[in-house]
Amino acid sequence: MAGSWEVTKNSSCDYEQGPTNEVLERWNFSIETDKELDKKVSRENSDNEIMREIQAVMRQIASSITYLPCLDEPCIFDVLAYTDMDVAIPFTWTESDPKLIANPQMVKLHSFDTKIGKVDTLVSYKNDEWDEQ
Amino acid sequence: MIVRTPLPKKRRPEATGNSDSPNSDGRFVIFEDLPEPEPSHQHSDQMLCTYQCRQLVKADFLDALSSAEKKSQDYQSKVEAMDSDLRKSEAERVKFRDQLLYAEQEVAAAKGREQALQDQLLKEVSESQERLRKQIHIHSELEVKFRKEMELRKNAESLLSSAEEKASLLEGKLSHVSESIEREKVRLQKELTQLKQESKLSMERISADLQRMECKASNSEKEAALLKDQLENLQTKLNECLHEKNEVEKKLSTLTHQEFPSDDNILVKHLREELRNYESEVREARKWKASHEDIELLREKLLEEKGRRERAESEVLKLSEVQINGKKLEDELSSWKSIIKEIPGVTSAADIPLKFEALQKEVLEGMMKMGEVTARLKQVEVALDVAENTRQNVETEFALTNERMELLKLELKRTELLLSSTTEERDRLKIVVDQLKQQKTVEAGGAMTDGTVKELEASLAMKEDLIKQLESSIQEQKDVNTRQHNEIKLLNERLSNESRRIKSLEREDDRLRSEIAILESKLGHGDFSSASTKVLRMVNSLAVDSEAKQTIEALQNELQKTKDKLQAIEELKKQSGDAGTLVDSYISGKVVQLKEQIATLEKREERYKAVFADRISVFRRACCELFGYKIVMDDHQRSDGIPVTRFTLQSIYAQSDDEKLQFEYESGNTKILGNTYTQQPDISHQVEIFIRKLNSIPAFTANLTVESFNKRTLS
Repeated sequence: MAGSWEVTKNSSCDYEQGPTNEVLERWNFSIETDKELDKKVSRENSDNEIMREIQAVMRQIASSITYLPCLDEPCIFDVLAYTDMDVAIPFTWTESDPKLIANPQMVKLHSFDTKIGKVDTLVSYKNDEWDEQ
Repeated sequence: MIVRTPLPKKRRPEATGNSDSPNSDGRFVIFEDLPEPEPSHQHSDQMLCTYQCRQLVKADFLDALSSAEKKSQDYQSKVEAMDSDLRKSEAERVKFRDQLLYAEQEVAAAKGREQALQDQLLKEVSESQERLRKQIHIHSELEVKFRKEMELRKNAESLLSSAEEKASLLEGKLSHVSESIEREKVRLQKELTQLKQESKLSMERISADLQRMECKASNSEKEAALLKDQLENLQTKLNECLHEKNEVEKKLSTLTHQEFPSDDNILVKHLREELRNYESEVREARKWKASHEDIELLREKLLEEKGRRERAESEVLKLSEVQINGKKLEDELSSWKSIIKEIPGVTSAADIPLKFEALQKEVLEGMMKMGEVTARLKQVEVALDVAENTRQNVETEFALTNERMELLKLELKRTELLLSSTTEERDRLKIVVDQLKQQKTVEAGGAMTDGTVKELEASLAMKEDLIKQLESSIQEQKDVNTRQHNEIKLLNERLSNESRRIKSLEREDDRLRSEIAILESKLGHGDFSSASTKVLRMVNSLAVDSEAKQTIEALQNELQKTKDKLQAIEELKKQSGDAGTLVDSYISGKVVQLKEQIATLEKREERYKAVFADRISVFRRACCELFGYKIVMDDHQRSDGIPVTRFTLQSIYAQSDDEKLQFEYESGNTKILGNTYTQQPDISHQVEIFIRKLNSIPAFTANLTVESFNKRTLS
C-alpha cells in the first residue's frame, strides 16, 4: 500500500456480523494528504499538539462504547480502502462493495492534524432495535 | 315762459325740504294763466305791480338763474365728478376687465392645467391599468406556470413515488437476493468450516496416522532391535548348539570308531533329542514370532479398517448433509435465477450490483431533479408572491389614483363652480358697466355708481380670494403630486431591490441545501462514488484457506514420505525375516560407530572437565593468595528474568564468616550488593568513598585487605 498511499483518499474499517454478513459498525478515517493541502495554508503543529490530538481521538474511540450498540454475536473485521479507479490491486487485497449501512446513526469524532496530513474520524452504526422503538 | 301778469309772489321756502312747493326741487313750472284779477283799482296797482312784478320776476328770474346756474354748476361738477367717476369706473372696469381676462386666462390656464393633470391622471390611470393588466396577465401566466409546475411536480412526485416504489421493490428484491446471497455465503462458509473441520480432522488423522506410523516405525525398530538381539542370541545359541553338535558328532564319530559303550549312545541320543528339542523350540519361537507379527499386523489393519469405517460413516453422514445442502442450494439458486429473470436488465449475478448502482444513480438523479423542481417551484412561488405583492401595491396605487382622481374631479367641479361664479360676476360687471354707460349718457344722478362700485369691489375681492385659493390649492396639489411621484419612485426602487435580494438569497439557499445534501451523503458514504472510487478489501486473515491448503499439502507430503519409509521398513522387515544378516550388520556397525563416537566424546568431555577443574582450582588459589580474597561465583536470575553472575568475596584475613562482600556482574558492569557486613559504619564509609565517589572496586578491596590485615596482626 506504500505506493498507493498518495492516491488513497480515505480508508475505513467496519465490523461484520458473522452469520448474516450484516454491517453493524463502520469506522471512517478520512485522510487528507499533503497534495490536497497544497493550496491551503500550511499547517504546522508541534509534536506535543499532534500527540494530544491523537490522544483525544483515542479517548473518544474508547468512550464511544457507551453509545455504540452491543455486539452479542461473533463478528469479524474487514478493512476497506477507497482508491482511485486506476490503482493496481495488491496481492492481499480484493475489490469489494463499500459495505454501507442503511439509515445509520453517525457520530463525528475529533480530527488530528500532522505536518503531513489531516485525519478525520467518523463512526456510523446501525440503529439498535431498542433505540428505534 | 314768463307770465305777463305774474302771480302773487310766494315766499321761497327756507327749507329745502318743503317738497310741497313746485320750485322746491328746482324744476320750472309752467304757470298756467291764473284767473284774472279783479278790475277795480287794479290799474295803478297794476302798473306798480307789473314793475315790481317785473322786478320781482327779474329778481326771481335772476335768483332762479343764479340758482339754475349754481345748479348747473353743481350739475356740471357733479357731471364732472360723475365723469371722473365714470372714467374711474371705466378704468376700474378696464382693470376689472383686465383682471377678468387675467382671471379668465388663469382659469383657462387652470383649466388647461387641470386638463393636463386630468390627462396625466388619465395617463397614469391608463398606465396603472395597463400595469395592472400586465400584472394580471403576468399573474395569470404565473398561475398557468404554477399550475403547470404543480402538474409537473405532481407528475414528478408520481414518478418519484413510482420510482421509489420500484426502487423499494427492487431493494426488496435486492435484499432478497442479498439475503439469498448471504445465505449462500453462510452456507458456503459453513461448508468451508466443515471442510476446514474435515481438513483439520484429516490433518489430525494424518498426524495420528503419522504418529501411528512413527510409533509403528519405532515399535518396528524396537522389535527389529529385539529381534536382532533375539536373532543374535539364537545365532549364538545356534552356533553353540552347532558347535556342541559338531563336538558331539565328532565325539560320536570317534566313539563310533572306538565302539563306545551304550551310555555314550544314550548321551548322544539325549543330546540329539535335546538338539531336536532346541530346534523345535527355535521353530516354535519363530512361529510365535511370526504369529505375533501377524497379530500385530492384523491389529494395525483392524485399526485402519476401524478408522476407515468411521471415516466412511462420517462421510456418509456428510454426504447426506451435503446432499440436503445441495438441494437447498439448488432451490435457492433456482429462486435466485427466477428473481434475476424478474429483474429487468439483469442476466447474471454480476449484473446485480451494476443494476443496483444504476438504480441508485437513477434515484439520485430523481432526487436531484426533485430538488431542482422544488427549487424552481420555490422560485415560482417567490415570483408569485412578488407578483401578488406588486399587484396589491398596484391596486393600492390604483385606489390612491382613483381617490386622487375623485379629489381632482371635486376640485375641477369646484373650479368650474368658481369659473361659473366668476363668469356670472363678469356678466354682472358687464351689465353694471353697461348701466354705467347708460347713466353717463343720461347724466341723471351719480349716486347709483357708489353701490355698483362697492359691489364690484366686493366681487373683485371675492374673486381675488378665490383666485388665491385656487392658486394655493393648485400649488398644494402640485406639491402633493410631486411628493407622491417621488415616493412611488422610491418605493418601486426599493421593491425591485428587495425582490432581487430575495431571489439571490433563495438561490443561495437552494445551493447551500444541495451542498448540504451532497456533504451529508458524502459523510455517510465516506466520499464514495462508484464512478471515480474503487473499494478494496483486505483478504480476510482469519480465513487462511491458502495457508491451510499449504499446510495440508505439506502434511500430505510428509505422510507420503512416512508411508514410503514405512513401506521400506516393512520390505526391510520382510527381507530381514529371511536373511537379516546384511541389515543387522549394517545397523550394528552403525550403532557401534555411534557408540564409539559417543564414548570418545564423553571421554574428551570428562578430560576437559577434569583439566578445567584443575586449572580453575589452581587459578582460584592463586587469586586468593595474590589478592587476599576467596571468590565464589554463582549464576542467578533476577526477578525480571535477566541472568546475572554473583561473586562472593571473603578476605583471608576475615575474622568471621559473616565478613563477606557480594558483587553482581552484568554485561561488563560490576556493582556491590548490600549486606550486614557492608552496612557496618566503617565499611559503608569505605564503600561510599571508594565505590560511590571514586568508582574503584579494586581500591576498596585493597583498602579493606590492608585494614583487615592490620586488625589481624594487631589482634
